[in-house]
Amino acid sequence: MKILLVGMNHRTAPVEVRERFAVGDPLPWLAKLVDSPEIDEAVLVSTCNRVEVIAAAPNLEAGRHRLRSFFHRELGQAAPLPQHRSESAVLYEHVDGDAVRHLFRVAASIDSLVVGEPQILGQVKQAYRVAAEGGVCGPLLNRLFASAFASAKRVRSETQIASRPVSMARVAVDLARQIFETLEDKHALLVGAGDMIEAALVALRGAGLASVAVANRTPERARELAARFGASAHGLDEVPRLLAASDVVLTSIGVDRPLLDAPLFEEALRARRRRPIFAIDLGVPRNIDPAVNQLDDVYLYDVDDLGGVAEANAEERRRETLRAEAIVQEEVERWGGWLSALQAVPTIRRLRARAESIRQGEVDKIVTKLGLDEAQQRGVEALTRAVVNKLLHAPVSRLREQAEREGGLAYLEAAKVLFALDDSTAPGAEADAVADDTRGDDESSS
Amino acid sequence: MVVELFHSTAALYLLAGLAGLLGIALPKARFGRAVPWLLAAGATLHGIAFARLHTLPNPPQLTDTPSAISLAAWLAVIVSLLLLRSGRLEGLAVLVSPLAFLSVFYESFTLYANAPAVASEAGSWPHLHVILASAGLALLGVAGLAGALFLAEDRALKAKRAPSLRRGLPSLEALDRVNAVTLAAGFPLLSCGVVAGMLWTQAETGHLFVGGAHAVWSVIAWAIYLALVVARFVAGRRGREAAACAAIGFAFLLFVVIGVGAVV
Repeated sequence: MKILLVGMNHRTAPVEVRERFAVGDPLPWLAKLVDSPEIDEAVLVSTCNRVEVIAAAPNLEAGRHRLRSFFHRELGQAAPLPQHRSESAVLYEHVDGDAVRHLFRVAASIDSLVVGEPQILGQVKQAYRVAAEGGVCGPLLNRLFASAFASAKRVRSETQIASRPVSMARVAVDLARQIFETLEDKHALLVGAGDMIEAALVALRGAGLASVAVANRTPERARELAARFGASAHGLDEVPRLLAASDVVLTSIGVDRPLLDAPLFEEALRARRRRPIFAIDLGVPRNIDPAVNQLDDVYLYDVDDLGGVAEANAEERRRETLRAEAIVQEEVERWGGWLSALQAVPTIRRLRARAESIRQGEVDKIVTKLGLDEAQQRGVEALTRAVVNKLLHAPVSRLREQAEREGGLAYLEAAKVLFALDDSTAPGAEADAVADDTRGDDESSS
Repeated sequence: MVVELFHSTAALYLLAGLAGLLGIALPKARFGRAVPWLLAAGATLHGIAFARLHTLPNPPQLTDTPSAISLAAWLAVIVSLLLLRSGRLEGLAVLVSPLAFLSVFYESFTLYANAPAVASEAGSWPHLHVILASAGLALLGVAGLAGALFLAEDRALKAKRAPSLRRGLPSLEALDRVNAVTLAAGFPLLSCGVVAGMLWTQAETGHLFVGGAHAVWSVIAWAIYLALVVARFVAGRRGREAAACAAIGFAFLLFVVIGVGAVV
């Protein structure tokens, strides 16, 4: 069985290409895919930055062809790619170990546009859950995704890949937490109503602020934004009054000269009995006079200051990525060991069946020859079974151990030769068919 | 046995400080979680050491400077533990632990160097003075350390330094709250300690105030704290100003207890 991964992401395909392949409900697509004989199991991960199918296929070439055709004809509806992009440049393809490594890197957020972003693990989990509940995911992918989630968990707990915020809005929230013990009883004032303010609103609402006021030159736009985020809307003339009640002030509005100056903040501080104010100025030209930062109990950060912190955090994340890659490599090797150990199962099963068949044959002979009663028969059964188990214990354990290692296949071959497992005329060979019949069950339970 | 108890206490305080530092430097490793447990173990052992020491025949005087400082350190650790329950203040424990370690280590070296306690005509006033003043010193010490940490963090935030190392430290608001709480509790205790000291002096000399260096500087320290309390709770001064005052006030108080105490 081969593991195949075919897909596209933010590096290989621009958004206008990705959006054509993105799917809302992957289950109907997956059902179609596993209905074809080339694919046994499949999971489809579709996020804003990637569309990928991870599949288990009995034949590499057939599986690869089927997945490419699935992307081109079914997901892409055979439409030509824009900007003269060739399919081979847009779609990437990984097989076995490389596919496993890719999935582990995706789940651990190493492959994300923003390294360490927390959403991707949830998205991969959701994609797997849909496939598992839809019955298109079998023992191989079940195990693969469990390993991917364990690997991602290790990366999260053993590195600091996700602990440093890198977006302006989240850096601002992170800084606010260093000033305020809790944000749940804090009030924010946002001046402006553009995209930056909207992104900040999302982050501040997520941080659990008690209330948010939006003040804008055009009250309609402020009202529209405020309505969407459960905030209150105000005109710019209300800013001085609102400032005294605000713990966090965020501005991003087009002005020729600073809208908020030091005397205004000094007055607000007096009114709020010197409780601190965290001011974030995302406007260019600046909306808040830089002299405000000289005041006690006001902490002013402009767009460059936040950018500097975000860049330092991004650099920290990049350093942590190296440690994360090492963890992923370990987990990929562990997965490889499990997969190799799976190859030992048929040999071990055949060996046990062969030994059991010989034992049973010898017991039957001796029982007939000596005319043993029932108690004596039970004694002979127990004795011979114990001897066989003890004799097989060491070779079976060694085979399992060695199969997980590099060169483990040589041990399996040696076992087949030593115990004549490939010789259908050897004593006990009639049990091989029974052992082979139960192979599938054994693999899935391994 | 008592010396070993003090040494073990010192080791636990030192470990708590190191765990706190590691907790700030490597937040993912969660060393910070060990801080309250190590401090609690240290404080328990410290209490047992005190109890053993003062039930021995011929125990040292509680009014000796090393004893008084060790008592203040013990109380400061207990105050820190209580504060740790109310928020993320492990960073503050990082400052309290080394001072507690030094105090206990200092006491363990001077245990048998000082004269044993003798019955005093002043009755229980000396002990009451030491206990109340040490409790005041402990609380105002925590206020001073919180103030110092506030100033360092405030400076780093104003200078826009990379915030990675500040993540494990308490927020400015939490430090300001610690300042308010410890000042509100510490000043009355210090005042009672000063009054008990005056009553001790009266019991021994017949006068409430005899004008020695320790007495004069103590009254000055008390007056400074009075001004601080008024500024904080009457005039509404908080944040950076309150932090700076608390840090300076504690430095002055240390000078009075250790500096003047050693000279006298």
